[in-house]
Amino acid sequence: MTMPLPSPAQTAQQTVQPAQPGAPAAPAPPAPPPAPAGRAAPPARRLLPRLPQRLRLRTVPARIRAWTSAIVIAVLALFGVAWVAIDDAAVGLRVIGRTDGPQVVATADLYYSLSDMDTQVANILLVGEQQLGGGREAALRRYEESRAKAGETLLQAADLADDEVERRTVQELLNGLSQYERLAARAMLLSDQADHPAGSPPAEAVASYREATKLMRLGLLPKAYNLTLESGSIVRRTYEEQHAAVQGGRVAVAVVGLVTIGLLVGLQVYLARRFRRILNPALLVATLVVTVLVGLAMGLLDRAAEDMRIAREKGFNSMLALSRARAISNSLHGDQSRYLLDRQEADTYEQVYLEKSQTVLYTPAGNLTAYYRELGRVVGEYPRRTDFLGFFGTEARNAAGGQERAALAETLKRYEAFQQEDRQLRAQARAGAVQQLMSRVAQSFQAYDEALVGLKNMHQRSFEAAIADGDAALSGWNYALPGAIVAAVALIFVGVRPRLVEYR
Amino acid sequence: MRARIALAMLAVLALTAAGCGAGGDESSIVGKDTLVIGVKPDQPGLGVKKREGVYEGFDVDVAKAIAARVAKGATVRFVDAPSAKRESLLESRQVDFIVASYSITPERKTKVAFAGPYYVAHQDILVRRDETGIRNVRDLRGRSLCKVAGSTSWRRVQEERGVPVRLVDGESYSDCIAKLRNGQVDAVSTDDLILAGFAAEQGNAFKIVNARFTDERYGIGIHKSDIEGCEAINKAITALYQDGTIPKLLKKWFDGTGLELTDTVPQFEGCD
Repeated sequence: MTMPLPSPAQTAQQTVQPAQPGAPAAPAPPAPPPAPAGRAAPPARRLLPRLPQRLRLRTVPARIRAWTSAIVIAVLALFGVAWVAIDDAAVGLRVIGRTDGPQVVATADLYYSLSDMDTQVANILLVGEQQLGGGREAALRRYEESRAKAGETLLQAADLADDEVERRTVQELLNGLSQYERLAARAMLLSDQADHPAGSPPAEAVASYREATKLMRLGLLPKAYNLTLESGSIVRRTYEEQHAAVQGGRVAVAVVGLVTIGLLVGLQVYLARRFRRILNPALLVATLVVTVLVGLAMGLLDRAAEDMRIAREKGFNSMLALSRARAISNSLHGDQSRYLLDRQEADTYEQVYLEKSQTVLYTPAGNLTAYYRELGRVVGEYPRRTDFLGFFGTEARNAAGGQERAALAETLKRYEAFQQEDRQLRAQARAGAVQQLMSRVAQSFQAYDEALVGLKNMHQRSFEAAIADGDAALSGWNYALPGAIVAAVALIFVGVRPRLVEYR
Repeated sequence: MRARIALAMLAVLALTAAGCGAGGDESSIVGKDTLVIGVKPDQPGLGVKKREGVYEGFDVDVAKAIAARVAKGATVRFVDAPSAKRESLLESRQVDFIVASYSITPERKTKVAFAGPYYVAHQDILVRRDETGIRNVRDLRGRSLCKVAGSTSWRRVQEERGVPVRLVDGESYSDCIAKLRNGQVDAVSTDDLILAGFAAEQGNAFKIVNARFTDERYGIGIHKSDIEGCEAINKAITALYQDGTIPKLLKKWFDGTGLELTDTVPQFEGCD
C-alpha cells in the first residue's frame, strides 16, 4: 500500500493533540490553541495564570486566530484522510483490475495447457496412422501449441510467485515438464514406428505413455492448480485490505468533514455575535465548498469500494472458477482418450473421469450410470431448482440476472449432451469408440467448451465494466481535491482578514 | 465551548482511526498462541489416543508439522474428533482445525472449509498376504467381503461397481481384520490408509491390493470464515511436501504394507 501524502494528516494530528488534555477542565477558552505547538499546552486550570496573555485568548484577535488555525488544521486533515482513502481505492482497483487479477486468471490456463498436452499425446497414440479428427498431424500441432502456451503461462506464474515455496513449485513444474516431454516423445516415437491402425497402439508405447500421464496427473497438474489458487490469494488479500481501508477512510472523511463544517459554522456564529454582522460571505462559501467536497468524496469512495467488490465477486471469482472448470473439463475429456488407450488402467481413468465430472457439477452419484441419470434430472430442472454443487453449483448460486442464467443454462445443457455422448462411448466396442471419440464426442465437447468460454467472457465484461467505472470515478480527483482544499483555505483567510484588520 | 472542544477531540480520534484503517482479521488461526486440533482417537496409523491429551499417528504428526508452520511456537492441544461431530466442532469453534481422515465432499463444504487435501487416499482392498486371486475390484466376484455396520464402503463394491460379492457382517473394522486373519472373510475394503494402519499393526499378515477404486481426498477441516488460516495451511502442506516431511511421515506409518504411497503434493480444494 502506498501513502503518497501522509504529511498533512500527521502534522494536523500532532498540532491538534495538545488541546486534548486541557479540554475537560477548561470552561472559558474557545477551542484549540493556535500555532507555536511546542509551548502551547494549557493542560489544567491552575496553569492558566502563568501563561502569557496572548495564549489565554482573552483578546478578540487571539480568539479569531485560534478559530482560524483550528479550521485550517481541520481542512488540511480532511485533505489528508480523503487523499489517503482515494489512493487506497486506486491501488485496490489497479491490483484487482490491471496487474495481479488478470494475471492470476491467466495462470489458470497453465493447467489447461498441460492437460491438453497430455490429451493430445493420448490422441496421437490412439488414432495411429488413421486420419481421424484431423489425424496425428493435427494432434501433434495442438500438442506443440499447448506446450508453448504452458511455457508462457509458467513464466507468468513465476512472475506472480511471491515467496520461496511458490518459486520452488514453479521450479518443480519446469523440471517435471521436461521430464514429461521426454516420456511423451518416447511414446509417440514408438507409436510412429509401429504404424498401427487406430485403437491398437503397441504395448511399449502405451507403457511409456502410462508413465508420462501418471507424472502429469500426480506430479504436474496438482502443482499447476495449486499455483493458481495461491496467487489468487494475493487478490483476495489486496481486496480485503484495500476495501477495508476505503471503508475506514470514508468514515474518517465523514467525521473530519463534520468537524470542519462544525468549526466553520462556529466561527460564523462567533463573528456574527461579536461584530454584529449577519453573515460572512467568504466563510459561507468556504463552508459550502467543504460540504460539497465531503459529500462528493463520500459518494466517490462508496462507488469505488462497490466497484471493487463487484469486480472481485461477480468478475474475478467467477472468471477464476470457470477457468478452473474449463481446465478440469478439458482434462476429463482427455480421460476418455486414456480410457480407450490403456485397457489395463481403464478402471482408474473411468474413476478419475467421474471424480472430475463431480468437481465440475456435483450431484450425489456413486458411478457413471447414476451420474448420467442425475445430471439429466438437475439440468432439466435448472433454473427452477438448483440442487447441485461443484463449480456450476457455485455459478448457479451467484448468477445474477436473466442473461447470466440463460448462458449458464445453455452451458449446462451442452455439458449434459457431452456426458450423454460419453455414455454411448463407453457402451461401444473399442474400434467404433475411437471413431466416435474423434468425431461426435469431440464435437459435443467443443460445443460445451464454447458455451463455457462464453459464460466466462460474460463475467469478464462485468469485471472490466466495474473496474472502468471505478477508474472513471477516481479520475481527476488528484486535481479536484487539492484545488478545492486550496480554495477553501483561501476563502477562510479572505473571510477572517477584514475582522482582524479592525484591531490594528 | 465544551461542544467545540469535544469536536476537536473527535477530529483527533478520527485521524487516529484513519491511521489504522484496515484492521486485521479477528478470528484466524494464524499466529494463535494455543491451537486446539481435532484428531481421531481410534484409527490405527492415523490417530490413536494413548491417554488423555496424548495421541499418535500419521494425522497427528501432520497436524503438529502444520501447527508449527501456521502458528510458530503455539501450544498445541489435541482432542477427539469423532466422525459424526466434526462439522459441529468446527462450526462452534471448539477446535481450530481437524486432521482426522476427513474426506472433502461437496456436502461438507457447504458447512466447513477445507485446506488441503494433504493426502489423496483411495478405497482399496486388504487381503491375506498369501492371496493371489484378487488384484482388482472385479476379482471380488463370488468372494466374501466384510460389511461393517454403519460404513458404506461395501456399497461401492456391490452396488456402485456391480460386483457380486458375498457380504459377511462385521461389527467394526477391527472385527473385520480379525475375521480376515482367521479366514472368515477374503477381503476388507475401505480407505487405503485406514487399511494400511491396521495392516501395519498386524505385522506381515496382510497386504494391500492397490486397486484404488475411489479418490478420498483427506482435507484439513477449518471454520468456513477463516480463509486466511486455510490458505496458510495450504502453504504449509506445500512446504511439507517440498522438504520431504510428509513423504517421510507416510513411510514412517505405512511402510511395509504393500501400499503404493504418493509423495507429491495433491491438488488442493481451494479455500473459498
